[in-house]
Amino acid sequence: MLNNLLKYGVAGVLGLLVIASTGYARPYDDVIDSGYITIFVYKDYAPYSWETESGELKGIDVEVAKRFAEDLGVELRFLVRGADENIDDDLRINIWKGDLIHRRVADVMMHAPYDREVDTRNEFAVLMGPYFLEHMALVVNQKQLPVVENFGRFMNKPIAVELDTAGDFFLSNAFRGALQRSIRRGRTFADVVDQYSSGEVAAAMGSLAQAEWIATQAPDIDSHIAQPPMPGIVRRSWPVGFAVKHDSRDLGYALADVATQLMTSGELAEITARYGVSYFSPE
Amino acid sequence: MKINQKMLGAAAVLAVTLSATSNTLADGHAVGIADIVGDQASTDDIVSYGLGPKGQRYSPLASINKENIKNLFPVWSFSFGGEKQRGQESQPLIKDGVMYVTGSYSRMWAVDIATGEELWQYDARLPEGILPCCDVVNRGAAILGDKVFFGTLDAKIVALDAKTGKVVWRKKIADFEAGYSYTAAPLIVPTEAHGPLLLTGNSGGEFGIVGQVDARNPETGELVWTRPVIEGHMGTLNGEESTMTGTKNETWPGDMWKNGGGATWLGGTYDPDTKLAYFGTGNPAPWNSYLRKGDNKWTSSRIAINPENGEIEWGFQTTPHDGWDYDGVNEFVVFDMEKDGKTIKAGATADRNGFFYVLDRTNGDFVSAAPFVKNISWAKGIDENGRPILDPENRPGDPAESADGKKGKSVFAIPSFLGGKNWMPMAYSQDTSLFYIPSNEWGMDIWNEPVTYKKGAAYLGSGFTIKPIFDDYIGSLKAMDPASGEVKWEYKNKAPLWGGVLTTAGGLVFTGTPEGFLKAFDAETGEELWKFQTGTGIVSSPITWEQDGEQWLAIVTGWGGAVPLWGGEVAKVVSYLNQGGSVWTFKIPEQLAAK
Repeated sequence: MLNNLLKYGVAGVLGLLVIASTGYARPYDDVIDSGYITIFVYKDYAPYSWETESGELKGIDVEVAKRFAEDLGVELRFLVRGADENIDDDLRINIWKGDLIHRRVADVMMHAPYDREVDTRNEFAVLMGPYFLEHMALVVNQKQLPVVENFGRFMNKPIAVELDTAGDFFLSNAFRGALQRSIRRGRTFADVVDQYSSGEVAAAMGSLAQAEWIATQAPDIDSHIAQPPMPGIVRRSWPVGFAVKHDSRDLGYALADVATQLMTSGELAEITARYGVSYFSPE
Repeated sequence: MKINQKMLGAAAVLAVTLSATSNTLADGHAVGIADIVGDQASTDDIVSYGLGPKGQRYSPLASINKENIKNLFPVWSFSFGGEKQRGQESQPLIKDGVMYVTGSYSRMWAVDIATGEELWQYDARLPEGILPCCDVVNRGAAILGDKVFFGTLDAKIVALDAKTGKVVWRKKIADFEAGYSYTAAPLIVPTEAHGPLLLTGNSGGEFGIVGQVDARNPETGELVWTRPVIEGHMGTLNGEESTMTGTKNETWPGDMWKNGGGATWLGGTYDPDTKLAYFGTGNPAPWNSYLRKGDNKWTSSRIAINPENGEIEWGFQTTPHDGWDYDGVNEFVVFDMEKDGKTIKAGATADRNGFFYVLDRTNGDFVSAAPFVKNISWAKGIDENGRPILDPENRPGDPAESADGKKGKSVFAIPSFLGGKNWMPMAYSQDTSLFYIPSNEWGMDIWNEPVTYKKGAAYLGSGFTIKPIFDDYIGSLKAMDPASGEVKWEYKNKAPLWGGVLTTAGGLVFTGTPEGFLKAFDAETGEELWKFQTGTGIVSSPITWEQDGEQWLAIVTGWGGAVPLWGGEVAKVVSYLNQGGSVWTFKIPEQLAAK
């Protein structure tokens, strides 16, 4: 009993120290002075960011984050969490307010959309440094569906998509719900990869980068990428950057410079190519 | 320095624990299942959530009454301490002079009632990665034998030794990494086949979770049966598949039933007469109702479960094909209703959707429904079968129709998604035959957001904001006659009410306000008879019991819960409220008792 209490007591204090040091997103000088930067990446979001079974973080966003830290000359710490219901929640939890329990935030949140409206309605976060142009796309099993000129092909062919994502909302809505019977919703993105690789679905929907990544994960399947018309979809493509807290703009400018350098030097395209992903500049 | 203080604190706790266990808990008997079933009648203890499993929150105690309530004074206040505050929604349990009370961040304390001193504290170690949607609350514990049980935010259920606070067993209800959590008080019910069972629901955001009720052996924590509430899912009994809930795809398109929502996040009630356990279910997922055509059973419903085998005996859906976020979790209170010279074995529930329903609790048949908040706009009324008569104008618009990038259709729906009544339990008086409903008069603007993003990808979402309906108040405590559907009296409160209600044979109704007052009202007239300022907002449920010949009253205090997490115009009336975390106890001092 005494041992337990002492252990809890000490752990509690250590916990507080950690929170105190990471409890707020910080301006440039504070980051440099402290010698480290905390960067948020999404969990289970290949090929941008994911954790391998051995606990290693991988992905395009992870590599960009490493370059950010290198350039500032500080140690890199990651904050890895799943996505909440929408970007506004993610900005609140990961950048300016923290989670309800441990109150942890990061200095930078990777993969925030570069969108003026989102920026305007989230006054405590700033969206900056677009470094990538995202598209919606399908990866299609060539043998099952040689041509996908429109989504009518999926009236009777199963298609995988991650539950509760933009692709799920589009498919659920398409043709007034006519595709509902064909949608195979994966609990996680990894489930979608499994469904596609095993050949049980004819296609999978996600971002273009995800579609290309799925193709690399299913070497036994002859895949092609398709981008048929998506009636009613809100965006077929959009720029992706990062977010910082509203009082850390100077940190954001420094990192935007790094992002620009990565783009113009061609390094970013090299990074995405390592994941089998085509690079599209946001400009 | 900090470490030293913590250690001293720990040592002090230990010392208190040792001295107190040796004298306070020496007498008395362990809580049996008969004590739980008969909890309402026995006034010297409170061994269930709701002052009896029927959930009436009615006490036959009358020592404190309309005449002497002015002499009610605090005895002691116990602080939960630490830096962890936020919402305190807990109802304490009382047994043999000990109070068992839970607090925010999955903590629990045993307190010596005679002195107000701590006997032990249990503090759950919460892992990283929990994202509870609606504050870090806990609503209370259950007790049986020598154990107390409560659920933690990481979706686990813990059995503690009532004497020491040490963990006896700890089981996973669901995977917190998949979005599950737990905040309700567990329910203990008798069965013939398995002995007493510990029943829990589940909580979670809209991450594609599925509502479920689990029954466990309270001794070991082993699962006895499970019952998912969404059509198409299989239940289990004794470790094997039992039956499917409903019929797959009857009211859901495609594979959407697999992640259909319906979290049973507020726990349940039990009727010793019909031997059924009643649970409410949350709203369906995804939020956009245009994606899931059909009634989406059993979301936004009340279901009656046979505790012997986990089978659903009946279900009643208050909001079929919900599009407003009207959870159907609110408690189903068991009572007998006299109407037209007949006694109906009834149950009542005040739904998020603003209607007060009376059902036949033996079979779920609809008896009546009446609005308990004003200006309801999502439905024009409830038809003779209990189905809402929808106003199509007031269903939130299809986000797909705002693809042109405009804001799209905006509707003002009453009640708001936080409900005519939210989690806070109402009370039923056996003397006045009235229900006392803590309600809120508010609506919500819902519009189609031109664009939002999830996990980095764009889609058409919805935006919403809560608005009060009246200038001078949101909160409204109402006395509802279940037989006539009439509101007998109303007490108006500026801030939204978020605490439970208690009524007593002393002719009193107690509830707390976010402004920090614990108040007592005349059960017949609604006249405010007494109030006490506790120093922080009240969002919990009061209790009363008898100890050493005196009637005590207790309330947990500490502002929080879902209201402060939502902004809009409501924020104006609550933003100044301070957090806290305490239990207050009250009685009439001896010197004044005789007067």
